[in-house]
Amino acid sequence: MTEPRALVEHFFRHEFGRLVAVLTRSLGVRRLDLAEDVVQAALIEALQTWSRRGVPEDPGGWLYRTARNLAIDGLRRERTHARALPRLGEGGARESPLHEEQLEAHFADEIGDEPLRLLFVCCHEAVPAESRVALALRMLCGFSTAEIARALLTTNANVQKRIERARDRLRELDVEFDTPAAAELNARLEAVLAVVYLVFTQGCYATHGDMPIRHDLCDEGRRLARMLAAHPVGDVPAVHALLALMCFQAARFDARVAADGTIVLLEEQDRSAWNHSDVREGMAWFARSAAGDELTRYHVEAAIAWEHCRAATFADTDWRQIAGLYDTLERIAPSPLHALNRAVAEAYLQGPQAGLDLLAAVAKDDVPARYPGWHAVIGELHFRLGKHAAAAHAWQEALRWTTARADQEFLRRRLAFCRPDHGSQANE
Amino acid sequence: LFIFRESTESRPQPSPEEMQALQGAWYKWMQKFSSAIVGGDGLKPSGRLVKAGIVTDGPYTEAKEVIASFTIIQADDYDAAVAIARECPGQDTGKGCHRIEIRELGGYA
Repeated sequence: MTEPRALVEHFFRHEFGRLVAVLTRSLGVRRLDLAEDVVQAALIEALQTWSRRGVPEDPGGWLYRTARNLAIDGLRRERTHARALPRLGEGGARESPLHEEQLEAHFADEIGDEPLRLLFVCCHEAVPAESRVALALRMLCGFSTAEIARALLTTNANVQKRIERARDRLRELDVEFDTPAAAELNARLEAVLAVVYLVFTQGCYATHGDMPIRHDLCDEGRRLARMLAAHPVGDVPAVHALLALMCFQAARFDARVAADGTIVLLEEQDRSAWNHSDVREGMAWFARSAAGDELTRYHVEAAIAWEHCRAATFADTDWRQIAGLYDTLERIAPSPLHALNRAVAEAYLQGPQAGLDLLAAVAKDDVPARYPGWHAVIGELHFRLGKHAAAAHAWQEALRWTTARADQEFLRRRLAFCRPDHGSQANE
Repeated sequence: LFIFRESTESRPQPSPEEMQALQGAWYKWMQKFSSAIVGGDGLKPSGRLVKAGIVTDGPYTEAKEVIASFTIIQADDYDAAVAIARECPGQDTGKGCHRIEIRELGGYA
């Protein structure tokens, strides 16, 4: 019997993505479904066998050989089936099946940039925008439908639909399994970065009670970005900036959540609890992102996150610098949320009224009425001005749209301060 | 001999992360009873069936259960064997549930 051996963390999940990518290179993007099925079957076989015999010396190689054989079996069955069809009067096969020999030859090559190519496929413009994150989480990160649904705060049926639609579109357009040529690289890379950042941010904000899944999302987002940066195609300043941004944000994760699960505001965070190895990694990426003259939204956001990391205490925060950066960000990537953040910075710089004035200037149509953070900030600014009724009103509105328990608890605590008996605290 | 029988009814497949958790549980089980476990293996889902000289291919779609894996253990009596089987992963939860048939080998082991 093989000596019992433990697997590295997330081994199955990451092997899933690697194997789907390697198989897709041989099977083609049209057969993503087959690749996914045989990889799932190979993992099940591994579970069965390893559970009794122990983990083999080279678990990755074991899985790879098993998945390859299953793929060849699958193709052989389809070919037998396709030959039988004309006899049954159903017409010939519509797609010429791949030759086994061809498949064997492909597999003989070393595993290279397949996961990266798969990432570009998942973020292809043919794939509907809302399907991209779901597809990437399934194919590259090995998330199940239920896990994706929990991560993206939607239903299993909806995730299933998004993935099927994505696969259909990729098949229809017969998308090539390759990284894009130089001419279209920038546009395609932008879509990839947006998806990777979305995977990360979905994990950052605890909009849901399921903490482990959310941390996984942040880790996966960073893993995908590092994978990009490790390849010449993705070794560019925008990717470095995104990595810097993720590292600076990730550094604060542990300090953001109190022992009882409630949110700790930046102002009250224990800065010594920030993860300094994350900060250091972020600084290294940030330095590399400065090469060239490109300024992306990720550069600006990384610069803002860096300003927060840099300040030894909350009082040391350079709000003038941050307000200026948000101003730049809003010009590069207009969004009411950037206006909101700028208002917060201005409020620290010039007082709460300046922040409120800025928010009032945002066009009515652009106000994200269902975004709790919007109302929470307005409540906070009113509160600081001593206008408790207005603050309570805004916080009630924020509470209406908040689904996360930790956020609800936070808002309730703030609301309690608005009661008349707490009025004396207004004059801070 | 532990014979693990699994239902052929389709049920939601575990996600890779859940598989890893299950694998971890089996690893702990194997470590805990390493002195008792002699060997074992998982079985591939398909095979051949020979009956009255006629050979057919698996999978055996008509069967309600299939043998999925086996483990040979060394135990003094059935009580000791049952104690080990009870601690097998998947016995307490519904997930990955299987029936374990415990049989003593006939020959001199």
